[in-house]
Amino acid sequence: MKLKKYLTLTRAGIIEALQFRLATVVMVIGNLLYLIVVYFLWKAIYASAGTDVVNGMTFSDTLVYLVLATALFNFMEMYTVWEIGRSIQSGKIILDLIKPIEYRKYLFWSYSGTFVTQFLFTFLPTFIVVAAVTHGAIHLGVNLLFFAAAVVMAVSINYSIDFLVGTVCLFTESIWGINIMKQVIVLLLSGATIPLAFFPEKLRSVVELLPFAAIYDVPLRFLLWDGISMEPQEPWCMLLFQLFWCLVMMILSKLFWKASLRQITVNGG
Amino acid sequence: MKKKGLRFYAGIYFRILAQDLKSKMSYRADFIISTIGMIFTNISGFVSFWILFRSFPSVNGWSYHEMLFLYGFSLVSLTPVQCLFDNNWSLRQYVYSGDFIKYCFRPINLFFYYQSEVFDIKGLGQLAFGIGTIAYSWGKIGLAFTPLMLIKLIVFLMTASLIMIALQNAGAATCFWIQNSFYVLDLAFRFKDYAKYPITIFSPVFRFIFTFLIPIAFIAYYPSLVILRPDQVPLLSWLSPLVGIVFFWLSYKLWMYGATKYSGTGS
Repeated sequence: MKLKKYLTLTRAGIIEALQFRLATVVMVIGNLLYLIVVYFLWKAIYASAGTDVVNGMTFSDTLVYLVLATALFNFMEMYTVWEIGRSIQSGKIILDLIKPIEYRKYLFWSYSGTFVTQFLFTFLPTFIVVAAVTHGAIHLGVNLLFFAAAVVMAVSINYSIDFLVGTVCLFTESIWGINIMKQVIVLLLSGATIPLAFFPEKLRSVVELLPFAAIYDVPLRFLLWDGISMEPQEPWCMLLFQLFWCLVMMILSKLFWKASLRQITVNGG
Repeated sequence: MKKKGLRFYAGIYFRILAQDLKSKMSYRADFIISTIGMIFTNISGFVSFWILFRSFPSVNGWSYHEMLFLYGFSLVSLTPVQCLFDNNWSLRQYVYSGDFIKYCFRPINLFFYYQSEVFDIKGLGQLAFGIGTIAYSWGKIGLAFTPLMLIKLIVFLMTASLIMIALQNAGAATCFWIQNSFYVLDLAFRFKDYAKYPITIFSPVFRFIFTFLIPIAFIAYYPSLVILRPDQVPLLSWLSPLVGIVFFWLSYKLWMYGATKYSGTGS
C-alpha cells in the first residue's frame, strides 16, 4: 500500500493542474513564439554557415533537439526552489515536516500530477508533431527505450539539483537570486539553450562531465541516435554516466537536507 | 483636482525611492545574492551569444559586431523596465489580497504612485553590461562618434525602452480581469529575449507580427539602424520613438482603466 499514498498525491496534482487551463493556453502560446524565433534564428545561422551539417548536426537535428528540450523543460520544471523557499518564508514548511512522509518525497510526489498532465498535454503532442514533420530525424526504434530510461533519470537528477538548491533557501532568505542562478547554469550547461555539440571543444569536454549534461543532452542525443552514429557501447556508457550522477546528486541532496534541518529556524507561521 | 507639476512628482519620487532603498538594505543577503544572480544571467547571455555566433562571420548580412551592438542596445533599452517598473510583478498579489486599495486613496496619480514604490537596483548591472557592449562594438565597427550620434543614441534608447514597459504594463494589468496573470506577464517578459535578433531573419508574416502586433522589433532592431546603418534608415526607424510613446500611452490607459474597474475584495 506504500505506492497508494504517493499516487493519491499524484491525483491531487492532476486535479490542481486542470484548474489552471488559461495558464496552460498562455504557456502554449509562449512556447510557440519561442519555437518560431528559434526556428528562424537557426535557419539564418545554417544559411550563413553554407553547409548542411554544422558540428555534426543537421538543421533538422538541431531543431528537433531544441524543440524537444523546450518540451522536456516544461515537463521537468517543478519550481521546487520556489516551493521550498515560500514554505520557509511563510512557515508552512513546519506542517510539511511533521507529515508522516519524508519531505523530499512528499514534495516530489505532490508534483508528480503535473508530470502526468504536462507529459500528456505538452510533451507527447510536441513529440508526435516533431516526429511527423521532420520525417525520420527521430528514429523510432530501440533508441526510444534508451530515451525513456534517460528521461526518468533526468527527472531525478533535475529534482535532486532543485532540492539541493532549495535547501540553500533555509540559510539565505533569498529565493529569486538563488533560483535564477540555478536556472541560468542548468539551462546553459545542459544544452537546453544551445546544443552542447556547438560548444567550443575545450569547454565542451568539461561540460559533458557535469551532471547538467545528463538532464537534457543525454536524453536528446538518444532521440537523435539512428543506430549507427554511435559505438555499440556508447549508449550504455551514457546511461551509466546518468546513473552515476543520479545517485550522487540524490545522496548529496539528502545529506545536505538532513544537515540543514538541524539549523532550521522558521518564523512561527 | 488640480494637476500637480513635474517638480512635485520628482520630489515625491525620490522620497519614496529613499524609503525603498532603506528597506532593501535591511535584507542585505538577499540583495547581494540577487545581484549576483543578475550578473549570472547577463554573463550566461554573453556566453550563449559567443557560442552561437563565434564561428560565423556574419548572419543574414549582419556581422558579429553589429549583432553585438544590437545585443547591447537591447540590454540598455530593457533596463528601465527592470529598474523602474518592477512593481508590476507584485500587482496581481496586491489585487488578489485586496491591498491594492491603499494606492487608490492617495491624492496623486495612481499609476505613478504604484510604480514609484519599487526601484530595482539589480537592473543597473545590466545597464553597465549594455553600455560596455555598445561602446565595445561601436569601436570595433568603426562608427564615427559625434555629439549628434550620441544624442540620437540616447533619444532612441529612451523611446525604445517604452516598448517593453508598455508590454509589461499591459501584461500586469490583465490581473484586474483574470486571476492568474503571472503567466501573461511572464509571456510578455520573455519577449525581451527575442529583441536582440535582427528582424530580417524572420519570414514576412512574422516580420509583420513582430513589428505591428507584438512590437519587439522596436526594442532594438529599428532604433539601432539609425546608428548602425545611417545611410539607409527605413521610415519605421524614424517612427520608432513615436511607436514607443503611443504604446506606452495605450498601456497606461489600459492599466488605469483596469484600476478603476477594481472593486476591492471587501475586506
